[in-house]
Amino acid sequence: MLEIEIDGAKVSADPGEMLIAVTDRAGIRVPRFCYHKHLSIAANCRMCLVDIEGSPKPKPACSTPIAEGMKIWTHNDKTKISQKAVMEFLLINHPLDCPICDQGGECELQDVAMDYGADISRFTEGKRIVEDKDIGALIQTDMTRCIHCTRCVRFGDEIAGVMEMGATGRGENLKIEPFLAYGIDSELSGNMIDICPVGALTSKPFRYELRSWQMQSVAGVSRHDLVGSNLLSQTYKGKVKRIVARENSDINETWIADRERFSYQGLSHENRLLMPQIKIEGKWQEVTWNVALDFALKGLNNAVLNNKQTDRLGALATNTATLEEFYLLQKILRGVGTQNIDYRLNIKDLDATINLPSNIKLTDLETLDYGLIIGANLRLEQPLINHRLRKAVLSGAMVDVVNVAEFDFNYQPNNHNIIAPNQIALLLAGVLKVVLESTQAEVLPDLQNLNPNATAKQLAARLLRADNAVIVLGEHLLNIPQVAIIAALITQIAQHTDSKTLNTSLSANSKAADLAGFTPGRDGLDANTMLTAQLKAYILLDIYPQYDFYNSPKAIEAFNNADTFIIALNSFKDEVVLEYADILLPIANFYESPGSHVNIEGLVQSFPAAVSAPGEAKPAWKVFKVLADLLQLPGFDYTANQQITSEATMHQNPKLSKVDVSKVDVSIDLTMKKGIDIIWQKSPYAIDVLLRHSPALQMTKIGQINTASMNAATAKKLKLTQTDDYLGVPVVLSETVADDCVFINANRQTWDRGQ
Amino acid sequence: MGKKFKKLIKNFSLSELRAGLGITAKELVNKKITVQFPEERTPISPRFRGLHALRRYPNGEERCIACKLCEAVCPANAITIESEMREDGTRRTTQYDIDLFKCIFCGFCEESCPVDAIVETQIFDYAFIDSREGSIINKARLLEVGDKNEDMINKTKLEDAKYK
Ligand code: SF4
Ligand code: SF4
Ligand code: SF4
Ligand code: FES
Repeated sequence: MLEIEIDGAKVSADPGEMLIAVTDRAGIRVPRFCYHKHLSIAANCRMCLVDIEGSPKPKPACSTPIAEGMKIWTHNDKTKISQKAVMEFLLINHPLDCPICDQGGECELQDVAMDYGADISRFTEGKRIVEDKDIGALIQTDMTRCIHCTRCVRFGDEIAGVMEMGATGRGENLKIEPFLAYGIDSELSGNMIDICPVGALTSKPFRYELRSWQMQSVAGVSRHDLVGSNLLSQTYKGKVKRIVARENSDINETWIADRERFSYQGLSHENRLLMPQIKIEGKWQEVTWNVALDFALKGLNNAVLNNKQTDRLGALATNTATLEEFYLLQKILRGVGTQNIDYRLNIKDLDATINLPSNIKLTDLETLDYGLIIGANLRLEQPLINHRLRKAVLSGAMVDVVNVAEFDFNYQPNNHNIIAPNQIALLLAGVLKVVLESTQAEVLPDLQNLNPNATAKQLAARLLRADNAVIVLGEHLLNIPQVAIIAALITQIAQHTDSKTLNTSLSANSKAADLAGFTPGRDGLDANTMLTAQLKAYILLDIYPQYDFYNSPKAIEAFNNADTFIIALNSFKDEVVLEYADILLPIANFYESPGSHVNIEGLVQSFPAAVSAPGEAKPAWKVFKVLADLLQLPGFDYTANQQITSEATMHQNPKLSKVDVSKVDVSIDLTMKKGIDIIWQKSPYAIDVLLRHSPALQMTKIGQINTASMNAATAKKLKLTQTDDYLGVPVVLSETVADDCVFINANRQTWDRGQ
Repeated sequence: MGKKFKKLIKNFSLSELRAGLGITAKELVNKKITVQFPEERTPISPRFRGLHALRRYPNGEERCIACKLCEAVCPANAITIESEMREDGTRRTTQYDIDLFKCIFCGFCEESCPVDAIVETQIFDYAFIDSREGSIINKARLLEVGDKNEDMINKTKLEDAKYK
């Protein structure tokens, strides 16, 4: 601890801190443009000049480390004169277009100019004009307004990991512009809008719509991924108009992914479902909620309740539902006596879902020294988890990847091991064998005859050497037939190498579903078996089967079964749903309903509703509450969402209680399955219905991803060429895909998965 | 007693009537000051704040750029603006309403406008308000007021500019 004096007051500070951090903590305002807490120090705007006793010239507070006994004056004449001079220089080329600038009212330059700017400009020469480039569907540029603080450049370099913006030219000709012709397409690009201190980078979908002072900000939490990014939904006249990041250093620092920032657009899509509807003799009729719920009750009674066939009722939900919705829906089903409940729709083999816990905090990811990513395109699946890993790599950690195709990482993994899906188990078995041998543990009989290859030896050595290692499991593993074996192997490896695990295989709010017990109990049917069990009635929460299921055609066929009564709660209209449902109840989507998200650490974050749902749509938890009352189930006398939250979080689901790794069964059958494996994944901006309805995101490069990639040999086996479609997705030949593997990243419905 | 007598004399001599008629007689020959509104009008200060108008540039383009400063400054919350990006990429209003029942004719909107789009004219005799809804004057009508009275607006604002 050092002691320094600021404006005559004693302040204590840690050695090595920059002055500006100390003044910020002490609540003393020092103007700044280029300094940003989470970026490196550039010290190029000079706005933060302060007077330091003993120094002939004022010094920038953002890049002056403190020293014992320093005396600083932040508001004396010397400081003010220099700051005013800097301000005058900055304003020389800045256009006077605050009235048409979207940053107006929340602009750092405007604010500082109010304090330090002169009333009149002494600059009579011509002002500089910079031509704008179209840099994509998300960010609008007005580069004449840029003050060259280089925050956006440093953001690209340091946070997004792709240097998309850069400075070219010198002096008067200095320009900040995208380096690449296609503009900006990082998954975190929207953050540049937040950090740009002026109106040079603003939100394109929001352009010219509103002023910052017209909106109300409501704190929210995103449900698109496992992080639960904190954000503010800014609303105007009952509509969400913009999303900005909210700082939470334990969760998302100050960053949010583009998914979170722009998905709100979908809320006002014309396809929103606005009225309850019932189908009478094949015709849809709009009705009131009372009529609809009575119809639902009658339908349920006729189909399953009256004839005591409750085991033929099932409930399926999307993984973006809230904790409370999961909890109430499972409580209803368990209340009427069935356990046919599931949210894991997109998985081939549900017996084999990876039951590995995640046991590392997001912030601890930064201090790792080794990470092993298996089966994940982590950057696009979990952008902010990937960002934490990237930070670890930048501070010296090593990351290895075992994937079925080469994906873009925004850092350099040590080894990019591209391995055929049917070889992954074998590789991991090799790793386990080496680990067991070197820890002098008993080598399992199944592994006796195994000959670990060089990769396995290397991975094992690195895992053993690391003090802080994590194994990250991704979504792709769920598509691999040997997923159960892989899970068992990783459990053992993690245990014997003292590594942490991070299981990202089920995303969105699936941790909430687990916590709420939204999984079939011992006697219940899971999502896949339900489809073949000829159920008599379903309650479907925001499900669009052509996208959501592993086997979409089978799901649609099951739902279309003539004597199956289907209550569909949907937030969007959908042709396929209209076809099979008997009753359609309009429900709220993101930001329209209070609820909770459970993130990968198990942290429960509750959020209020920011706006009310459009038309007659209601939050699903209210619908479930009324339905439960109609069914005369006990224990549903909730009056507020929070009561459900506390009940759901108290309730301990036995399936969740800690997995005892030593008891995991490791009979490992390593006989290789021949044939081509399909690894199927929805593309990042198609994972839920809200994203699919957000126009700006769909126009981005990531939003357009729709490829079935395979290498030439696989294509030859399948008799396909570059111009063909495979399962309805355009084929892309790429030698970075493993043998015997088709990696499908689809943003549209794929009807036929061929299996 | 004396008082009563004096009053009696006064009443019977019709002195008050005569004084009154005297004024009438004087005014008969004096210059007339009654104004025959609306044919005749009294002079109005160029700074007078009457009915609002939205102005255009000489090339016909509307001035207003939807900055919403007038909406923000209006102490009576009388102005409602919605904006969007027009097809040519410029920032424009889609809705610009002033509720004349709420307006207190303070002129702040005019003061705040960076492009001299919203102004208050010398018009005060608008008799078109027939209902609560009728009190809301929309963008088309505001522009119409501007178009019809541009000469007057131009003149008065020029006159006033000297003193600003
Ligand atoms: S665009 Fe914005 S963030 Fe980037 S250098 Fe210019 S002012 Fe700074
Ligand atoms: S004159 Fe005053 S009260 Fe009337 S609209 Fe303008 S700002 Fe509002
Ligand atoms: S009238 Fe003037 S102040 Fe009001 S929105 Fe238009 S440009 Fe802005
Ligand atoms: S903030 Fe210190 S130089 Fe820019």
